[in-house]
Amino acid sequence: MKSAIEIRSLSKTFRSRGGNDVEAVSRLDLTVEPGQVFGFLGSNGAGKTTTLKMACGLVMPTTGTVRLNGYDVGRQRGPAMRQIGAVLEGTRNVYWRMNAWQNLLYFGRIKGVSSTKLLKARAERLLRELDLWERRKDPVGEFSRGMQQKVAIAAALIADPPIVLLDEPALGLDVQASRTVQEWIIQLAKERGKTVVLTTHQLDMAESLCDRVAIMSHGRLLAHRSTGELLDLFRREFYQVRLRGVVEAEKTGAFPGFTASRENGHTVLAGEVGEELSVFDLVERARAAGMDLISVSPAEPNLEEIFVELIERAKETAGQDGGLELDAGARPAGIEIRG
Amino acid sequence: MVVAGTVLLNECQKRLIIMWSYRFNFMLETFMIGFLFVGISFFVSGGRPTPEQMAPALLGYLTWFFAVFAISDMSQGIREETQTGTLEQMYMSPLPSGLLLAGRSVASLFISSAMVILIGGILMLALGIRIPVRIEGVPVFALTIVGLYGFAFFMGGATLVFKQVNALSNLLTNMLLFLNGSFLTVERMPGWLEGFARSLPSTQGIDVLRRVVLDDLSLASVWQDGSLVWLTVHTAVFLFAGWGVFLWGERVARRRGLLGQY
Repeated sequence: MKSAIEIRSLSKTFRSRGGNDVEAVSRLDLTVEPGQVFGFLGSNGAGKTTTLKMACGLVMPTTGTVRLNGYDVGRQRGPAMRQIGAVLEGTRNVYWRMNAWQNLLYFGRIKGVSSTKLLKARAERLLRELDLWERRKDPVGEFSRGMQQKVAIAAALIADPPIVLLDEPALGLDVQASRTVQEWIIQLAKERGKTVVLTTHQLDMAESLCDRVAIMSHGRLLAHRSTGELLDLFRREFYQVRLRGVVEAEKTGAFPGFTASRENGHTVLAGEVGEELSVFDLVERARAAGMDLISVSPAEPNLEEIFVELIERAKETAGQDGGLELDAGARPAGIEIRG
Repeated sequence: MVVAGTVLLNECQKRLIIMWSYRFNFMLETFMIGFLFVGISFFVSGGRPTPEQMAPALLGYLTWFFAVFAISDMSQGIREETQTGTLEQMYMSPLPSGLLLAGRSVASLFISSAMVILIGGILMLALGIRIPVRIEGVPVFALTIVGLYGFAFFMGGATLVFKQVNALSNLLTNMLLFLNGSFLTVERMPGWLEGFARSLPSTQGIDVLRRVVLDDLSLASVWQDGSLVWLTVHTAVFLFAGWGVFLWGERVARRRGLLGQY
């Protein structure tokens, strides 16, 4: 089966007159399988949007290729563009002076849907699903931010593309609107088999939506794993030791590398276990120090913690030859690190 | 052909919807365009404009209006759509961008023609100006318009790359009004200015259009005296240069990531 998106050796360098060229994306290789919800995570300037725009044919890569369901975006533009619908961040994406219905018909036609009957049926279905049917005749400019975003998403889907690219889909939306958009993304992938690629800063959203994530920093891919694998990888190494009452700082020194915090009148130590300090050692040391142990449990990491750690590591190793090199011993099974 | 027709109708429909949403501005603009013609004619004729004097001026003035509409549509339109992100959506179409832009240009021509008919009709009725309808004027008009749209593509391509080009396009459209021979014939300009004025889009078209429509000359005679030949060359240069610059602008904008950036 063909990959929905296949990116090979993709690089983009923006040239500047002063000679300070910016390498926005560097030798990126990744694939997204059909029906997946794939998340691109990274700080501002990480290269997520540039990658997305290269996939949309809006930015020409310096090197490398992007294939959408097997079609090369650079060489088979027409069929490649039939594979995608995209909502890009920071812009309106649709005409605010036109109403939702008019926008959907307009974008349907420029995206190559020639049958008016089919177009109208799709537009009605999309507007009903997004609870916009009653307001289809109102100018989009009069809508709330959430409703405008829904219209933009509907316009991206009007030609029924198998791949949907969403750049910060919930940015600026209130909780309710954000939830609706997230539910819809799940529905698109799970019920309609669409491949959804999204970029987001909202890591909790990525964690709940994405089957797979790619973490980028300074144009480089730091990690590319399924969300579950990434969380498991970190879950195995971090533990929380809950001790009754307030434990003095001298005593917590028996757990090197662990940080202490207070929670509901108890002391919580959190840190990484490894060859030097096993879970068994933790329990032994706590008993030996006469501490009243409540529980020892693997810490539940979230994507945010993993993201922050990877980004910090990348910063520390920036400029070193070979780039980021995580300690292989501390990372069983290894994360796909791109140097 | 069906696709081209759909694209054209789609663009016309969009333009009309957006224009209708600005109907108050549109009415004021129409009034302003009419008022400007009357005002300039008044001053140019020393306060005594006659319908005979105003006919060639009106022909030039309406051609200038086509130029303004085409240039601002392409240049300002692209700038606005870059800001709103709808230009990026257009470039994500599986249809060739050239076809979509051609559709936009034809839609813009239809709408500007409707406005010209409206403004021209009101002015002719109100001021007693008579411009005869001559079938021989059609090819001359078509050549003039094609050249104008070539120039508009030139400005559009430049807008994709140089975002501040809008000020230049405003300057050029205002300059055209006084240098394209609408109110002051180019022969009466100083030599250096006449050369420059003749190189501008629409100047040669207005000149030939007047001779064919108002002076009743045949196409054969304007071809023989070289003015129609010169207009054809002029149009071809503007069209190919404009299209070339537009393609260059598109390529540079894709390379620099400027399609959605202002």
